[in-house]
Amino acid sequence: MNINKSNPLLLHPLNKWMKKKKWSWFPHQIETFRHVQSGSDVVVFAPTGAGKTLTGFINPIDDLIKLNKFKGLHTLYISPLKSLANDIVRNLEKPIKELDLNISFQVRTGDTTPYKKQKQKQKPPNILITTPESLALLNSYENAKEFFQNLKYIIIDEIHTFLDNKRADLLSLNIERLQTFSPNLQRIGLSATLKNKQDAKKWLCRKKSKIVSYENSVLPKITILQSKERIPWSGHMATYSINEIYKEIMKSKLTIIFVNTRAQAEYMFKNLWLINKKKLKIAVHHGSLEKNLRLKVENNLSKGLVDCVVATSSLELGLDYGDVEKIIQVGAPKGINRLLQRVGRSNHNLNTPSKAILVPTNRFEFIEAKAAIEEIKKNNLDKIDLKEGSFDVVAQHIFATACAGQFDINDLYVEIIKAYPYKNLNFNDFKALINLIQDGGYILKNYDQFKRIFQLREDKNIYKLVNRRETRKYRMNVGTIIENPMLKIKLGTKTLGNIEEVFIQNLSQGDSFIFAGQVLEFQSMKNNLVQVKRSKSLISKIPSYSGGRMPLSTNLANSVRALLAKSNMWDLYPEQITEWLKRQKNISKIPKKDEYLVEQFPRKKNFYTVIYTFAGWHANQTLGFLLLRCFKEFNYKPLGFVANDYAIVLWSLKEVKEIKTILNLGLLDKHLDNYLEETSIVKRYFRDNAIISCLIERRLPGMEKTGKQVLFSSDLIYTVLKKNEPDHILLKSSYEDAKKNMIDYDRLREILKKIDKKIILKKLTSISPLAVPIILEINRENLSKKETDEYILEDLEHEILKEANVLSIN
Amino acid sequence: MYYQLINFGNEEFHAYPNKSLYWKRLNTLIVSDLHIGKSISYAKNKQFLPPYDTKEILNKLYVCLDKIKPSNLIIVGDLLHDVFSTLSLKDQDHKNLSKYMKNTDFIWIKGNHDKNIQIEGFKNFTNYKIDKFLFTHIPIETSLFQICGHYHPKVKISHRGKTIFKTTFVHNEKIFILPSFGILTGGLDINSKKISDVLGMKNLSIYPVGQDKVYKL
Repeated sequence: MNINKSNPLLLHPLNKWMKKKKWSWFPHQIETFRHVQSGSDVVVFAPTGAGKTLTGFINPIDDLIKLNKFKGLHTLYISPLKSLANDIVRNLEKPIKELDLNISFQVRTGDTTPYKKQKQKQKPPNILITTPESLALLNSYENAKEFFQNLKYIIIDEIHTFLDNKRADLLSLNIERLQTFSPNLQRIGLSATLKNKQDAKKWLCRKKSKIVSYENSVLPKITILQSKERIPWSGHMATYSINEIYKEIMKSKLTIIFVNTRAQAEYMFKNLWLINKKKLKIAVHHGSLEKNLRLKVENNLSKGLVDCVVATSSLELGLDYGDVEKIIQVGAPKGINRLLQRVGRSNHNLNTPSKAILVPTNRFEFIEAKAAIEEIKKNNLDKIDLKEGSFDVVAQHIFATACAGQFDINDLYVEIIKAYPYKNLNFNDFKALINLIQDGGYILKNYDQFKRIFQLREDKNIYKLVNRRETRKYRMNVGTIIENPMLKIKLGTKTLGNIEEVFIQNLSQGDSFIFAGQVLEFQSMKNNLVQVKRSKSLISKIPSYSGGRMPLSTNLANSVRALLAKSNMWDLYPEQITEWLKRQKNISKIPKKDEYLVEQFPRKKNFYTVIYTFAGWHANQTLGFLLLRCFKEFNYKPLGFVANDYAIVLWSLKEVKEIKTILNLGLLDKHLDNYLEETSIVKRYFRDNAIISCLIERRLPGMEKTGKQVLFSSDLIYTVLKKNEPDHILLKSSYEDAKKNMIDYDRLREILKKIDKKIILKKLTSISPLAVPIILEINRENLSKKETDEYILEDLEHEILKEANVLSIN
Repeated sequence: MYYQLINFGNEEFHAYPNKSLYWKRLNTLIVSDLHIGKSISYAKNKQFLPPYDTKEILNKLYVCLDKIKPSNLIIVGDLLHDVFSTLSLKDQDHKNLSKYMKNTDFIWIKGNHDKNIQIEGFKNFTNYKIDKFLFTHIPIETSLFQICGHYHPKVKISHRGKTIFKTTFVHNEKIFILPSFGILTGGLDINSKKISDVLGMKNLSIYPVGQDKVYKL
């Protein structure tokens, strides 16, 4: 047998290096090499530690050596994170330097200096490692075609993070642009294991394409924290188990504690320090911290200088920290993929299992944790749903295209619909987006003399940018990630990080809050800077971050339902959980996995309806609002509702008699539009849409409101537009966004389609054990923003009047 | 229309939720900071706001004029956003406005935004005195009571753990500041330096504008 035929990589330039390291090629590396060589686009699915990065570079390096002193850009590597891009460079450097290969490679991200960027444009490296945003920028330069015309490979790393968001839309549009520049370009995707591998392939690849997959046979060892304490009914802070968590940290060399929100991170960090008798080195890491603080933590982590880091998803992706021994996940896993990603942060050796401990913060989370462990054993991953491409991203792309030079709208349209997310984009919508970039695209043609792009007189299909000044505006606005308005926090002259404006607005001078692990006292806010000083106060607020919460995945929800119904498992649970479920079974019912339990009972003069949907909190929130409207119509006099991932509870003055007839698809069809009108949900998405589509300019951090010009808010624009031009493309786009995200329309629709035949209605005399957690979450009435504002004003006026009367009597 | 009674300089004024102020004794309506044509002036910098603000502002004004039929309309500055704004006034708008001028005396006080702009048929003033009241865009050194605009005041209200911002009428003993009558106009916190330099921080009378009602704090 000819060994070279069975493994072509034995002749590869890197083989010598592999041998020296005593490494051998993985089967998926060989397979990928073959497919790419035969001209296929390929998506590679492999776990961390299986040489994924190298897999992507095997063909480019082979080709570059064969081409011998190739000049110009040959391979583009797209990474989801800047920090990851730097790490890739370090990984690539080793073999190339050690083998003294004649291949140049550089990184280009938002952190690259203008000087270096300029140099790269004049003399591009063979391999460029960059991010989707930097690629979009490169494509907007006038010489983009020359720059990319000989590009042979594009490698997309961590492709699973790109499938279901607007960044994916932006990237896919830019990949098609590269394909236009360089028709022979081949696409290579690298991904963590996915359930729907075909979808990832569809998203990235052209017709001739292959999937290469490598599954790790060593399963991670995941357990639930054995606590002597009682798991609380509700809450999300895991205070009960803090001492046991501390013990676990002591047992391992290096631990990462993952939590779900930034607030939880701050809280956990603070509580660990309160009991840190052994003076362990504990750090905190989340997306709001100042970049330098984050880098410092990451550095210490990779050097093993810390014992434990409390982190949010900010540490989910990124550098390999080889020495992490243990992962502790505090709070619900929410999804299988996410949990696996987090667990995979420990121990990058393929042959030994990763170790993780789950710490449920309440009783439902215990079941959820248990279910997640079961699913991971079965390797039952979550599906990532591909999304239809968003309009606002196309608008931004049109602007970018115009910056690169004049263009033919028909050519552009044909190119855009080659991108998978936009295969269904119709020409009318596309034209509306052209108009949006041209002059806002309003029916009332008021801006003829102010257009941003215009049609050439001799050929109406050709559009051109009015002047080069506009390119600067595009470049300030590039990208699809819109942060909430943030303010910089200053302790003395030191910047600690960014905090949401909304949170600061709620503080008064002297209030204390926790940030970056310190208790801080709010002093003043000036020019978008929040001045704070250290505080010894024990009472402190925790910043809430609206973005942190994600809903329970459908896959895991189904598993939770199935597990709940398995009563033969209960005896294996901690006593209080077993007791809880048994009592529920006696008093009410444990729903079977396809049943929807509805409980109704009187409590404190009100009438309560609890519906266990397991639909995730977005869908439950929507359902709550819809039911509220419907209850009003039936004159049940509803007072409010609360939703979480598992259930919703509504309370009303009158008994809700028709719940079985109310809960069906009609609810959605009849009330959704009105609901969207009344709440600020669409308005919230309008802001993102207006910024991404470059209708309004991004307020970059540190940019100040200029004295004279009071910035208009996107809310005002939304209101005016909605009133005068309800069919405007940006309203349509915002509506679609809202439907997909906050409303979780499709998921709710699926449930409502089948729910009416599967309702188990239990009329009880008092609250059931299963309902206790959600009842405990009721703390305030849910009124719409408009109502809340009026309520606050009225109440305050009333109080002041009362106070005034009292004073005058005295 | 529900209004809030405001006593200022020993005179009674009515504050309306549409952000206009009415002086009943003299049958005079006062508005401020309309910023007509703000959208078109942004458009020249390629920020394409919905071009419906002028229409909406004027309609709002017409509704007031039809209902109240005031003898005088005092605009305390920034009727127009800038020199480009006149482009958004169409022939029909000019016709409508001159129709209203037959029964109402329009007194346009120039603001910082529109000081160099003329509109045919509009009388304009740098400020305007009636009795002991001076109408001016930005307050000046005087012993008179002043009614002005310019600042687009908003008030931050924290109550029961919630914080909201509301457009507001606000005055101290001598100076009254109207909210902006415009559509796409933002606001400035009355605690900000710019406003507190004028009004001070203490003894302010604050009247936040709600949906259908002007409140009194």
